[in-house]
Amino acid sequence: MGKKRFSLLDFIVWTSGILVYLFMILPVFVIAISAFSPSEYPEFPPKAVSLKWFTAIFTNPQWMDSLWISILLLFIVTPITVVMGTMASYALARLEFKGKGLIQAFVLSPLMIPQIVLGIALLYLFTTMGIIGTITGLVIGHMLISFPYVVRTVSVSVSNLDPRLELASMNLGATPMQTFFKVTLPLIKPGIIAGAVFAAVTSFGEISISLFVSSPSTITVPVRTFGYIEQTFDPSINAISVIFIVFSVVALLIIEKTVGLSKVM
Amino acid sequence: MYTGTRKIYTLWKRASRMKKTSTKKKNQLFHWLFLLPTLLFFGVFLVLPFALLIKLSFQDVDAMLITLNTYSLSQYIEVFSSPVYLGTIWSTIWVAALTTVFCLLLAYPAAYLLVRAPSRKMRALFYILLVSPLLTSVVIRTFAWIVLLAQNGLINDSLLKLNVIQEPLSMLWNMKAVIIAYVQVMLPFAVLPIATSLSETHVNLRNASMILGANRIQTFLKVTLPLTIPGAITGAIIVFSLAAGSYITPLLVGGRMQPLLPLSIYQQVMQVFNLPLAAAMSISLLVLVFIIVGLLGYILKRWEAKMNG
Repeated sequence: MGKKRFSLLDFIVWTSGILVYLFMILPVFVIAISAFSPSEYPEFPPKAVSLKWFTAIFTNPQWMDSLWISILLLFIVTPITVVMGTMASYALARLEFKGKGLIQAFVLSPLMIPQIVLGIALLYLFTTMGIIGTITGLVIGHMLISFPYVVRTVSVSVSNLDPRLELASMNLGATPMQTFFKVTLPLIKPGIIAGAVFAAVTSFGEISISLFVSSPSTITVPVRTFGYIEQTFDPSINAISVIFIVFSVVALLIIEKTVGLSKVM
Repeated sequence: MYTGTRKIYTLWKRASRMKKTSTKKKNQLFHWLFLLPTLLFFGVFLVLPFALLIKLSFQDVDAMLITLNTYSLSQYIEVFSSPVYLGTIWSTIWVAALTTVFCLLLAYPAAYLLVRAPSRKMRALFYILLVSPLLTSVVIRTFAWIVLLAQNGLINDSLLKLNVIQEPLSMLWNMKAVIIAYVQVMLPFAVLPIATSLSETHVNLRNASMILGANRIQTFLKVTLPLTIPGAITGAIIVFSLAAGSYITPLLVGGRMQPLLPLSIYQQVMQVFNLPLAAAMSISLLVLVFIIVGLLGYILKRWEAKMNG
């Protein structure tokens, strides 16, 4: 339409939009900045720059133990969830049966089930099974929570895939297995990578279930952070926050480079 | 000659049909095998724990809160006959509903910027601003609000320095703090579906409305808004169910004593150790969320049916 000119309406919409983005990003931005301040109390802007709180984290054996457990979990949870989630999304895209919608809703349901309820249900189950407080229990909990993200991203890729490519492969004599590995998998790879990134990030940040099913020997970083926040005001939490923020930005960059953010969100 | 050809043709057709159905069957078997691990996993680790939780919610406890092997409705009666718990249920719904409404109100301008930003780079920036908090652990995002709102926190600090206030305000440990933190934590879940439906509304529709004499506000209210309602309802479903079921954020910024069902459940499990009562509350919360989500889903379906004629 016509020439761009100043419009009050545009101005109001843009100002309120930018304020909303500031509201979303500022709190995290502020603690990330204060992580580099040497002062005991959070101050903004910081008066000096120091890596004191990072040193405090990386020389504390408890934090290092937790970091190790979180990373270990991430490396167990991500591959299993991605393989299982990819297989399930592919099967659900290709199968037609009664109750398919129900199964689809079901594998996405961990996103919607109240987290406290899921936490308690697993706490009770794991106590009965005798795996409460073990890495196994944490792996299962994290898998449940990450699964929907993998299914969502992979399903988008599968639905963009032309089924005729698979038919062509099978008409040329390939078995379903060969077709899946040689044709389907390479074509849905971006969705799988994005799913893997989401699974890793979700596992690394998971708290609601972990808090119920971890034991003193299997405390993840978010659970330890929760404990610190509840008990004391420790500025080293700021440094932990920076680790999480860096992790999420790296994850975003990977997703943006592989599939493009706007495609998977 | 002719009949012979026809015979061969029908035979060939039948054979090819048989081959087709057998490949189809083989493929189906293959797909079911792909689905099997997921079905087993969800059966054992989602269906089974909920079945156990339901069973537990009907069990009685003795005076020492030891779970007994007798069954009754006593836990549910305790939940639904106590004014304290009923009040808690209402305030849980109220807080989740308020959070949802605020999220939707703030989500529209944010989604508008995300979709209509003039350059690709700017859109990417908005996406990063929107999604990066989503990927940061909820503990960290909640902690940020403690740093900001505490008595010796940054907001009080700045206001004192600017002489706006003489005494630090107490902004933490109340429901307002819970709602503010909730809105910030859950906002991206409302923005993303609204942005999706906004980007699907065709520019021609808006232009047509303007040509017919509507101004931009009328166009928004009569054309754009109705078309984004499905996105808004999808966002509302996610935000409401998250806000009704989370306990980390209210525990940290609101404190243990806030009347919210997830906090009561947390207390019963971690401090009182009355597991059957916690189970009954959990099942009640689950049913409550399902009812409201189901209702919103029904409205969504009706709206989409209406939109599509």
